[in-house]
Amino acid sequence: MITALERLVAAINGEKSDRIPIFCNLLDQGAKELGLTPHEYYSSGANVAEAQIRMRAKFGYDNLWSLFYVGKEAELLGCEKIRFALNGPPNVEDYVIKSWDDVEKLQIPDDITTHPAFEQQRICLDILRREADGKVPICAYITSTMTLPVLLMGMEMWMELLFIGPADIRNVLLEKCHEFFVKELKAYRDGGANVLVYSNPFGSPETVPMRFFLEHSLPWIERDIQAVGTTGIVYYCGMSRFNRVLDAVIARTGIGVYYLSPLDDVAEGKRIVAGRGLTCGVINDIRLVDWSVDEIHEEVRRLIEAGMPGSKFLFGTGVMPACIPDGHIRAMLDAAYEYGSWENRG
Amino acid sequence: MLDEIIREYNEAVFDTDRERALEVIHSAVAAGVTPDDVIFRVVVPAIQQMVKGISEHFDANLAQHFMASQIASEVTDAMLELIGTAPTSVGKVVIGAADGDLHSLGKRIVIGCLKPQMIDVVDLGVNVPCERFVDEALASDAQVIGISAMMLHTARGENGCLGVRRLLKERGLERKIKVIVGGAPYRFDPGLYKAVGADAWADDGIAAGQIIKDLIREVSR
Repeated sequence: MITALERLVAAINGEKSDRIPIFCNLLDQGAKELGLTPHEYYSSGANVAEAQIRMRAKFGYDNLWSLFYVGKEAELLGCEKIRFALNGPPNVEDYVIKSWDDVEKLQIPDDITTHPAFEQQRICLDILRREADGKVPICAYITSTMTLPVLLMGMEMWMELLFIGPADIRNVLLEKCHEFFVKELKAYRDGGANVLVYSNPFGSPETVPMRFFLEHSLPWIERDIQAVGTTGIVYYCGMSRFNRVLDAVIARTGIGVYYLSPLDDVAEGKRIVAGRGLTCGVINDIRLVDWSVDEIHEEVRRLIEAGMPGSKFLFGTGVMPACIPDGHIRAMLDAAYEYGSWENRG
Repeated sequence: MLDEIIREYNEAVFDTDRERALEVIHSAVAAGVTPDDVIFRVVVPAIQQMVKGISEHFDANLAQHFMASQIASEVTDAMLELIGTAPTSVGKVVIGAADGDLHSLGKRIVIGCLKPQMIDVVDLGVNVPCERFVDEALASDAQVIGISAMMLHTARGENGCLGVRRLLKERGLERKIKVIVGGAPYRFDPGLYKAVGADAWADDGIAAGQIIKDLIREVSR
C-alpha cells in the first residue's frame, strides 16, 4: 500500500498514485483531542506529537505537524510571555523588541537545538520521526527573514521600521533574522522535518507594493533560499495571495512547492507554475465553520477540478480554526479523498 | 493646480514614499494653498480616490494602506497647527482590538484615515473587553464603536462584537451607537459581520474611514 510520503513524492514528480496528497493542518485541535487546556497541551512536546499522530490516524490525511504555535520562534529569541486562549491560537504577548534600540541587543542563539525553548520541540520531532518511520511527511514552520521581525516587535512597529524608520537599524535586524532563519531551518531539517513551510507574508503583493517586493522582499527570499537550499521548501505567504509574483519567485529561487492563498485563483496559479513545481490549492477554512456539508463538498470539488488535471497538485487547508466542527473536517476530507482519487478518474 | 498636487501626492502615497508626499504638501503650502485646502481638497480626496481605486482598478496592499494613513495623519496634524483653531468635529468613534486580540496595525490605519475627515477617535488599544467598548462609547458620546479582530476566535467570541451587541441591546442603545468590524476573518468570510451582530464591516482600513463616516451620519439623522 502506498504511503503518504510516496503519495507526496509522486505528486511532486508529476506521477499519478492512488490519489492526490491531502494536507490538513490541525494544530489547536490537539488540546481537545487529548482533553487538555491549550497551556497544558503546548507545554509538552510529547503531547503535541501524540495528538498529531492520533488526529492523522482518525482522519487519514497525509501530513504531521511539528509546529506548536508560531510564537515559539519568538521564545527562542527571548520572548517570555505567550497569551494562551481557550479557543484559539497562542500569541506573543510581550515583544522582545520594544524600541529600535533593542535591535542591537537582540541575541541569536549559537545553537538553537540546545536552547531550552527548543527542548520540547526536539522531543516532539524525535517522536514524530520515530512514528512516521519515513512514511509520512513531517511539516515544520519557519518564518522568513523579512517576516520574523513581526514576531519580535509586532506588525505595526515593523511596518514603521520598514517604511519610515532608519535603514541601518532595519538592516541590522534583517541580518540577525536571516542568521536565525538559517539556523532554525537546519535545526528542523536535522530533527527530521522534511516539509519546510517557508512563511513569508512579505513575499506577497497583498502586503507590500510590487516595487518593494522586487527591490527588497525578493532579494531576501533569494538569500534565504540560497543559504538553505530548496529541498523540502514550501513557499507560503500566510494566506495572502501571491499568484502575481509566482513566476518571479520560481525563476529566482527554484523553490518546488507553492502553497497558494485560498483567495488565489488555483487554475491560474497552476498555469503560472507550468510544471515547474507542485501547486497546492488551499480551501478557505474560515468558511468551513458555517458551510453546510453540501457546500463543503462543492468547494472541495471546485478546487480539485481546477488544480488536479495534469497532476503536480496537492489539496490543503490553512491553519484550521479550532471552532470548525469535526463533522465539517470529515466532510471536507471525504470530498477530497473522493474527488482527488486518480482511481475514480480512471 | 490642486489636481496636479493631488496626483503627485497620490503617486507618492502609492509608492509608500513618505518623504516625497510631505514634499508635495510643503510645496503646495509654499505656493499658497491654504492648510484647509490641503486637508479637505488634497488629503481627503486622495483617500477617497484610493478607496475608489481599490474597488474599481487595483488591489492596494497593506503597506500602501499603512503609509496612506500615516501620511494623512501627519499632514493633518501639521495643517491643524497652521490653522490654529480646532475644526468642527463630524462625529466620534471609539476603536480597539477585540478581547483577547493583541493586533494593533488595522486600527492604526483606520485612525489615520479618520483624522483628516475630522472624526474624533478614542483609541482603546488592544485586548478590549466588550463592556469597555460600550462604557467608553457612552462616556465620550460616540456614535460608532469600531472593533478590530485578526483571529477567528476573537472575531466570533462571546466577548467580542457579539458581547458588544448584547450590551447595546440590553441597554437600549442600538439606535444611538452603531458597530463596525474589520480584520482578516471578515475578508475571508464577508458575511461574518452579520453573524457577529455588527452593522457594517470594512475590507481595509482605508475603506473603514468612509463607512464610519456613513454610520455617523445614520446615527445623527
